[in-house]
Formats: sequence, structure tokens, C-alpha cells
Amino acid sequence: MATSDTNLADRSGSLLETHKSYQPRVIFFYFVIFALLATLVIGLAHEQLFNTARHLDSERMQNQRRILVPGPRGNIYDREGRLLVGNRPRFAVVLYLDELKSEFINEARIIRRNYAEAGDKDLPTRDQFNQIARVSVVQRYLDQVNGILQRTSTVDRVDLKKHFDRQLLLPYTLIDDLEPNDYAKLVERLPVKSPLQLYASSTRFYPYGSAAAHTLGYVGVETDIDVEDFPGEDLKTFKMKGTIGRDGLEKVFDSRLQGEAGGTIFRVSPAGYKINPPLEKRLPVQGRNLVTSLDIDLQRVAEEAIDDQTGAAVAIDVKTGEILVLASKPDYNLSDFSPRLTHAAAADIEARQAWTNHAISAAYPPGSTFKIITSIAALRSGAINPDDPIVDCEGTLRKYNHNFVCENGLVHHGEILLRDAIAESCDIYFYTAAWLTSVEKLAAEGKRFHLNEKTGIELPNETSRMVVPDPEWKMRTRDESWVPGDTAHMGIGQGDVLVTPLQMACFVASFARGETYTHPTLLHQADRPAQHSAPIGLKPEQMQAIIDGMEGCVTHGTAAKTLALASEKIPGGIRIAGKTGTAQVPGRKNVAWFICFAPIENPEIAMAVAVEGDTPNEAYQGGIYAVPVASAVLRKYFDKKAHPSAFVQPIKPE
Amino acid sequence: MPSKRLDQARPFLTLIIVVVAWLVLPVVVKTFTRAGFFELQAPLNVAASYARDLQEYWSLRLHTNDELIEASRDLARLNAQYEVAAQQNAGLQSEIERLEALLKLPAYAEYRSEHARVVRRDFSGWWQRIVIRKGRNYGIPVGAPVIFSGGVVGRVTEVYAYTSVVELISNPGVRLAGVIEGETQPISYQGGINPSFANARGVIEFVPLNVFANAAAPKRLVTSGLGGVFPPGLSIGTVVKVEPSTDGLFKTGEVELDPRLGSLTEVTVLVPLNPE
Repeated sequence: MATSDTNLADRSGSLLETHKSYQPRVIFFYFVIFALLATLVIGLAHEQLFNTARHLDSERMQNQRRILVPGPRGNIYDREGRLLVGNRPRFAVVLYLDELKSEFINEARIIRRNYAEAGDKDLPTRDQFNQIARVSVVQRYLDQVNGILQRTSTVDRVDLKKHFDRQLLLPYTLIDDLEPNDYAKLVERLPVKSPLQLYASSTRFYPYGSAAAHTLGYVGVETDIDVEDFPGEDLKTFKMKGTIGRDGLEKVFDSRLQGEAGGTIFRVSPAGYKINPPLEKRLPVQGRNLVTSLDIDLQRVAEEAIDDQTGAAVAIDVKTGEILVLASKPDYNLSDFSPRLTHAAAADIEARQAWTNHAISAAYPPGSTFKIITSIAALRSGAINPDDPIVDCEGTLRKYNHNFVCENGLVHHGEILLRDAIAESCDIYFYTAAWLTSVEKLAAEGKRFHLNEKTGIELPNETSRMVVPDPEWKMRTRDESWVPGDTAHMGIGQGDVLVTPLQMACFVASFARGETYTHPTLLHQADRPAQHSAPIGLKPEQMQAIIDGMEGCVTHGTAAKTLALASEKIPGGIRIAGKTGTAQVPGRKNVAWFICFAPIENPEIAMAVAVEGDTPNEAYQGGIYAVPVASAVLRKYFDKKAHPSAFVQPIKPE
Repeated sequence: MPSKRLDQARPFLTLIIVVVAWLVLPVVVKTFTRAGFFELQAPLNVAASYARDLQEYWSLRLHTNDELIEASRDLARLNAQYEVAAQQNAGLQSEIERLEALLKLPAYAEYRSEHARVVRRDFSGWWQRIVIRKGRNYGIPVGAPVIFSGGVVGRVTEVYAYTSVVELISNPGVRLAGVIEGETQPISYQGGINPSFANARGVIEFVPLNVFANAAAPKRLVTSGLGGVFPPGLSIGTVVKVEPSTDGLFKTGEVELDPRLGSLTEVTVLVPLNPE
């Protein structure tokens, strides 16, 4: 019995729950749990204390978007304040897709239900449902506009998808470049609080169409606009398209004309929809204006006078170097570039070879206009004297085993003096003067007038193909020796001499001042000081002989036929000094030249005109083709001076 | 004790139930309810306006005969002036029609005039509108332009059986295409945020840069007629300020509206004869 009691006690004791203070297995788990908790706490502390900035940053990156809007470009004016290039408002009707979130969702639901009701087993995917819904909703809004404007436009699915995926925060353009009537209708008939809104942007506006096209230049689309000192550079940024100067003044002064971009930073929902109001906003600001030295009246007259010929005319203010006219033909209509140049228009410009600015990018032999430089070189070197005949022109001259012909010798010039040689453009005289002077001195004179280098005008694409040749140049470029015939040809501006019309205009302006260098500029300053450079170094009687010759060219010489008629119409009996030239390029089209300045007593305006012939080897004389262009410009210039009140316009502030 | 608490909370519960019920009601029901409420209210408003008319009538009856004779003389003079103006207008109208025919321009939309009494004015910072005593019973459509002797009043936004609601041009929700008198480019006019009892103003946008105006040399803003809703040449207000917008493309400005807009008693609804 006692045994059985003992066993019972043992058994009952084994059934009792007992706790020991030391349980190694449990304590192990305590450690594990503690370690895990500690890891979590430390991790949390680390993230909260040390990585807060990073998390805030990534949160900001995730839920904020930046939109940049370009500022309008500055205007370009002529010297009298007339608008040459401005900005034209361009109205579009746009749809703010980010305000249509609930409509898209509802539409997708309806479409899905319709599919289900129709029992269609070939169900589109979720994305496809959403796309169909978007197109359907946007088309509904577009139909509102169609109804008002009596149009039948439809939504471009691909374009809409691209816009939705990439630029949801930017308005989606439904119809662009609205006519004023359409714009007025939409203003009145679209609800004020509607996702459909009118959007105004700017595009370039050219009141004078093709006038000064090469000088003013054009703009192209710029997608990479930037805004200074605007926060959120690291945010996902949507950029509206801006413009960038691609040619002419638009290109050279792009940074000045370029407006300051504006920007907005929005918070967006996880689906990318905008939450108003914006966190940051800065309005775009228009770029600075540019006042050019061009006189649009003269510019248009020059272009009309050149008409459908190929060539250029440059007029320059003798005292300041400001360019009054920089005309080049053929040209293009700048309005074709706004808002963008079509392929057809580009092809047409290409076909007409109208891209080239012949005033600065085409290098021509100067022809007989170079005889002024030959005269200066010969007089300075003492090789000729104004009052001594150096040759008896019989139409041809046999020398160095060659026959040298006087191209202007329809009648024999006989024993001719410098004045008449210039007026009649006697080649034999200048062959002889060149030989007497030497090629080195001729070349040095050309270089002294900077005819071997770019003028540095504020335009792109000024050619560097100008050449003032000399024996060293010929040997270097052609590996040939210089021969006396080269000197003769150089003396009359033929052979290898190449200059641009702008260079010749600068040369005439320098000569008119009795100096050697004129820096041309296209910027107008009302108080710009007169330019000065090294004097020519001729004695007054020598200078007078050349000027007499140039005046004789206009009054009774090679330019007399056309310019004399024009002179009668120039008020106040203005005396003009000029020189014609006909550059003959074997196998190629000849070039008719005319350079001049006026009035002789107090020179104000200098000009150079170069017009290409339209048939190879055709006699294309400066007196016939280039003189009328200069004549028209001079007449307009002096007309404006005589009747200032009829032309003066207020100059707009810059 | 708990039942007493429940009794106390009953009004709040009822309010919550009503609000929730209103929120979940279909849009059609809500629209019907709103319209029904307005229609129910309309006879009261109309009756009140008739009472006001009667009040005015009796107040006029109190004037002396001399005053009435003087007023009728003024009226006769005014009528004579209007007669001359009407003849001039007829001459100008025929000249315009001749030129339009010559230039093959489309004629402006034609309208039928419906004169209506104002039964209620509702001016607040949020909306500015009036209720007029004609509605569907006179064939007034939504969107019809409303004018008075001083120019544009606004547009009809709601039409009921016997009344219509007209949103005034001082309301920010009204936008129309105007032109500065003498100019051709249409600009956008929109009502401004106008506090009660203040002179109403509107804002203009997309104003060409060559337009200058200020309080000393104001310019008149008239309807362009291009939008197709308002006929051309109706006065909107006076442009008293324009300033360049920062984008350099346009100017924006302020338009002072006719102060009589706040005390209108009679307006004319232009009902299009050939609505699009």
C-alpha cells in the first residue's frame, strides 16, 4: 500500500507544471528575438536619423514635377524703330489631361461593361481599355470644339498615347494656330471652368516678309530650354518647346534675344496627376530687344532693284561703319519659317540656291573696282603721277610675249591720264600701272585695306575664301611661279583676287574717309562715334585725282548711262564718286560690280553692289546691271534726307 | 438613461442621414430637386416683384402734376433724340448691309428682343446674377445674350417655366470676345472677383501690345461679334488700365463696368432667330 502511495505521489508530482529559473533554450530565443528587435530598432534609427534627407529627397523626386516654359524672344528693330522681327501670338485650344482622371476611369468602366454585355470573348487588356477610354474622352472634348468651329478633327491615338505617357502635366494640343475668328468663338463658347482651354504661345513674326532675310536669320525649335536659379533641377522636368537662333542675327545674338524661361513645380498624385496649387511658380520673361543699323526702306529698295538676279548690295554709313543695307538675292520668305519650315519650302529654297548670303559668303573677283587700289598703290609707290600719261592705249598691248587687251577700249583711249583711266576704266593703263608698281606693293595695298581677311561683321558664315594673291601665295597654293601676266590681271581685279561685296563696301567707306579700315557693324547706336583708322597716305592732289576719276565714271564714264538718269532725281545735286567693274571668270558667270560713295564733299554713304550674270561668259557689265541698284538706294537715301518728316519713325526703347 | 441620450442625438443623426442620402442620390434626382425648388420659389419671387412694381406705381402716383408734366417733357425730348438716332442707325445699317453684300461678308446673326423685368438680384463675392420674369413661356434659351441700354448685361444660364437666371458680366464665370473700339484683334474679357456693393470690374487678357489705356485716357471695350453669341458693337465697359504681361506677348488690363448693372430693373434678352 505504501508502495502504491509512493508511486501515486511520484506520478501526481510529474503532472504538476514546474518552472525553472534557468532555461537555456528559451534564453537562446530571447537573444535571437532581442537581436532581431535591435536590428530593427537600429535600422529604423539609422533610416530616421541618418537617411532622412535621402528619403525626403526621393519622396520629393517621386511626387513633384517641374514644367519649364520658354520666354518669348526679344524683338529686332531697324535703325528707325520699325519692327523687323517680332512675336506673333499663336493660339491653340488645349486639353488638360491631368484634370480628366475620373472621366478616364468612368469611361474605361463603361467600355468594359459594354464589352461584357456584348459577350465579346476577345477582351482587350487593361492598358488597351484605358487607351480606348482616353481616346474616347478626348474625342468627346474635341467634338465640342468641332461643333463650335464647324470642323471634323479627330484624335491622333498614337500622339495622344505619347503625350499621356511622357507629358501628362503639359496641355495636350487639340487644334493649333487658330484664326482670330475661331479664337473669338472659343473664348465666348467654351465654359470658363473646363479642361478645354485656350493656350497662347509665341512664334516669330516678320512684318516685311523676305526683307533682309539673310541678315535677320531665322530660328529653329529648341527642346532643351533651361531656367536659371529655379529650384528642382533634379526633379522630373517637362519642357515646352522653345526656339534657338539658327542663322543671321537671330543666331549671333541668340543669348541676348532669348527670353528667360519660366517654370512651375507641381505636386502630383501617384498616378501622375497634378495637384493644385503649384509649389513654385515663375513667369517667363521676354528677351532683350535688338536695334539694328539696317534701314528697312533702303533695304527693300535694294532688294527690289536686284529683283530676280543673283547678287548682293551693301550700303554702309561712312562715318560710323553701321550697315544700312545688306541685301542678298535670291532670298527666302522668313514667314515660311514660322511656326516651322515645311519640306516643300526648304526644297524650294535649296533649288533656288537661296540659302547663301551673297553679301558675306560669296567671294568674287572685284574686277575693275580693284583699280582704285591699284591707283592708290601706284601713287603711293611713286610709280605713276596723276598728270603723266604712262601709256598710249591702242586697245591692245603686246608685252611679255602676250597680247593684253583693253576690255573697255571700244574706242582707243590713247594717251590717258589717271582721272580718265578710272572714269573710262582703261585696262591697258592699269596693266602698266601694276607692272610699274610691282605685285608686292599691290598685294600690300590690298592687305592694308584688310581685303585679305574677314570683316568681323556680327553674322555667321562670313566666308574666309577672300584672296589678295602674291608670288608666295601662288607658290604655296599652286606650286607655280608668279608671272607678269598675273600682276597685270591683279591690277584690274581679275585673276586670283577674291573679295566679298561687304569687304568692298568697307573699302569704299574707308577710302571716302581717307583711311584704310572700316569695321562694319549691324548694331545701331544713336551716338556711335565716328570710326578712325590709319590714313591712306596719299597727297591731297593724288587723292583728288582718284576722286575726280570716280566722279567722272558716274558723270561721263562707264557708270554714266544709268546713274546719270538717277542723279537727276537725287535732290540737291548730290555728287557721287563711283567705279564700275565687270569681273570675268572664265567658264563661269561674270559678275557686274559697282562701288561708290556720296556726297563727295562730305561722304555719308558708301556702297558696293555685285550682281552675277545669268549666262556663263556673257558680258555682264557693272555699268548696266549693278549701277541701277546703287542708284535706287542712293536716290531713296537722299530722298529721305530731303524729306525727313515723311520717314522718321520713333525708335522703340530697347 | 441611454434612451434619453439617443433622443438628444436624434437631430444630429437625422442631419447626418439627410446629408448622406443627398450625397448618394443620383444626379438626375438632385437636378430635379433643385429645379423643383426653384420652380416652387419662382411664383414667390415673381409675386414679390409685382408687389414692388405696385409699390413703385403708388410712389409715382404721389408725384405732383407739375413733376409729371416736367417728366413727360423730358421724355418727349429724349424720344425726339432717340428718333434722330434711330434714323441715323437705319442709314448706317443699310450702308453696312450694302458693304457686307459688296464684300460678300456673312451677315451677323439676327435676334428677337424679349424685354423682361428683373425680379431678383443676387450679388455676392462668388456669383453675380439676376433673375428675370420670363422663361420658357417666352422661348428664352440657355446661352442667350442679355443687354440693357448701357450695353451687355450677361448671358442666360438657367431657364425655368416663368423665370430665367442671367449671369452678369461681372461674374468670373462669364467670358466673351471683345474688341477695343477702333481695333480689330479680338481679346478675351472675363468677369472679375467683385466684392458685394463695390463697383464691378472685369479683366481683359490677350490685349495687343499696341493698345494703351489708363484711367485718364480710357478706352471703350465692345463686343466683337466674332464669337457668335453677342452681336458686335455692344458696350462691355471701359478699359481703365492695361499693363504688359511678363511674357511680353500681350497686355492684361482692367475693365470698369457700368455701375447701373447693380440696379437693373429692365433688361432685353436677345433670342437668336436661327440658333446653330
